[in-house]
Amino acid sequence: MDIRRVILATLLSALVLLGFDYFMPQPKPQPAVATQEHADTQASRPPSAAAPGSAAADDGVPARLPIDAVDVSGSVNLRGARLDDLVLRGYHETVKPGSPLVRVLEAQGQPHPTYVEFGWYGQPGQTVRLPDAHSVWKTDAQKLGSNSPVTLSWSNDAGLTFEIVLAIDRDYMFTVTQRVRNATGDQVALVPYSRVVRAYTPEETGGMLVHEGPISVINGRMEEGSYKSLRTNSTAPNFVSWSASGTGGWAGITDKYWLAAVVPDQKSDVNGTYGFDTPAGAYEVGFTGRAPVTVAANGVGESTAHVFAGAKEVRLLERYENELHIPDFWKAVDFGWFAFLTRPVFFVLDWLYQLFGNFGLALLTFTLIVKTLFFPLAAKGFRSAAAMRSVQPKMQAIRERYKSDPVQMNQKIMQLYREEGVNPASGCLPLLIQAPVFWCLYKDLYVTIEMRHAPFFGWIHDLSAPDPTNLFNLFGLIPWDPTTLSGMLLLGVWPILYGATMFLMQKMNPATVDPAQKQIFMAMPFIFTFFMARQPVGLVIYYCWNNLLTVAQQMVIQRVHRDRSKTTIIPPAKKARKG
Amino acid sequence: MSVDSGRSMLGRCACGALVGGMRLWQIVGRPVAGPNCRFHPSCSEYGVEAVQTHGALRGSWLAASRILRCNPWNPGGYDPVPLPRAIAGAVADIGSAQEASMQ
Repeated sequence: MDIRRVILATLLSALVLLGFDYFMPQPKPQPAVATQEHADTQASRPPSAAAPGSAAADDGVPARLPIDAVDVSGSVNLRGARLDDLVLRGYHETVKPGSPLVRVLEAQGQPHPTYVEFGWYGQPGQTVRLPDAHSVWKTDAQKLGSNSPVTLSWSNDAGLTFEIVLAIDRDYMFTVTQRVRNATGDQVALVPYSRVVRAYTPEETGGMLVHEGPISVINGRMEEGSYKSLRTNSTAPNFVSWSASGTGGWAGITDKYWLAAVVPDQKSDVNGTYGFDTPAGAYEVGFTGRAPVTVAANGVGESTAHVFAGAKEVRLLERYENELHIPDFWKAVDFGWFAFLTRPVFFVLDWLYQLFGNFGLALLTFTLIVKTLFFPLAAKGFRSAAAMRSVQPKMQAIRERYKSDPVQMNQKIMQLYREEGVNPASGCLPLLIQAPVFWCLYKDLYVTIEMRHAPFFGWIHDLSAPDPTNLFNLFGLIPWDPTTLSGMLLLGVWPILYGATMFLMQKMNPATVDPAQKQIFMAMPFIFTFFMARQPVGLVIYYCWNNLLTVAQQMVIQRVHRDRSKTTIIPPAKKARKG
Repeated sequence: MSVDSGRSMLGRCACGALVGGMRLWQIVGRPVAGPNCRFHPSCSEYGVEAVQTHGALRGSWLAASRILRCNPWNPGGYDPVPLPRAIAGAVADIGSAQEASMQ
């Protein structure tokens, strides 16, 4: 019976560990370059009214306008007026020195094409020639910088001149003003569009914990799509898998930390769509105007939109939400169902970070605050420790009497506690209240970019990644990476410390009486050490610190009671050994 | 003990899921958290029994209220799952019948 329970427990633990592996994100080796084949010239569907003569040969060096802004650099592709080349100055791919900057927009023909395009659709039956992916635009400046806008222009040689005023702020927000000057002598009606295109399928890094893929908020409703649903639900000829209409909103394609999104004028009526252009192998997320912009003869038509391409910094997103009135833009960071908890905890952590300049210290201080808040609960639980000693003889008698029947023994002990008005445990409710705190830290560590590459002391350069040290290569003495053999062969210094503190905590708490459970309990620190070794080290540090604080708290409370009981109840000579 | 027979498929699935979850907690979660419960049977054991005897809805309700009670301001102690109403009524009837016959 006992051995069966031990085996069952081991199997179940293994199941949980494996299940976690399946559902939760794992540190992956450098992802292989996406191998999806796509024809260079076909990745974007030309606007429906594109004139046949516009397919100018893609010859020569593509003309580009450099972008040199405060937080980003790159270039605008003047062929098609696309934003398809953007790197973030403030973020590196890895923590290694000299690691390349993070790229959020990448041109067609590159390994990870992701770009933003905008333009106009004609009305059915119209034969106006419109700019398309091959149109080469003229520019009025040498470069695009923060707060120094540029105007691009293109003429269809039949009376219509198209202009795009591009501006970028100090961070990641472009303002795109599209204009049409009509010199045809006839009225023209055009529908503005803007979209984010991704012509490869990225490897998802966040597992079930972080949403990655198409995302939008239209009419106050957030819609998170998956690459797979776009692929399976898009059919010719429109290749649209999902759509919603509303006033304003935003839509884009998000990664764990980065986002490329288009934001239409918040007063305009738009259709938001997700789709997968099957022949081109490109995901398309964006907006089309619901009503055309009518440009009178010799008049000017205009449509304004914003493009966000950058890092999902929590405070920056909030600022854009407030200043540009982008609805629920903060939801680009996946705080989850419990955002009402995870977000406030993030703000507390961030505030502490501003105070200390280190997220690790902020984490430790936060834990200390939580522990202090819950201290009265714990103290109340231990308050009867002195009285416990007075019932020790009776308890011993019960133990002797029901040696062979642990269930009966527990029952009698509990009865005794009640009769004597003592109880050593602080209860399940305090434990349950602390669970959300743990969840918040877990979620925040995983999803927020602020914790990415956040250093701690010594060898920890990224709190959101597992401890890089490994017992199985003697902490680097052997030049070999055991995780290439199996992901289980990872055991860093912090996880080992975690196991030790957990063991210590178990030693201090009254052991359970059931011998089978005792064995399981003893095995758990070991199993959990391996489990925690693969979690963000920030979490492991939090847990170590939390365990240490629990142990310290227990010692303090017990000492206080021992001192009191020395003078009042029990003579020191008869002091019970347990405690 | 189990009164599953009168329950819908959905109800049984819900019961199974709840019991499974609590068993998992007993084996994997409790060793980490340490023994905290102030009652016998412990909250998780109580939850399992409550769901098995009273069904998913009432069982969950009983378990939730037990966890709320399991705090430092409650003396704790022996606190078994209440009997189902029908059985409890029958037991009471038998009791009163016995009393009546004794008189």
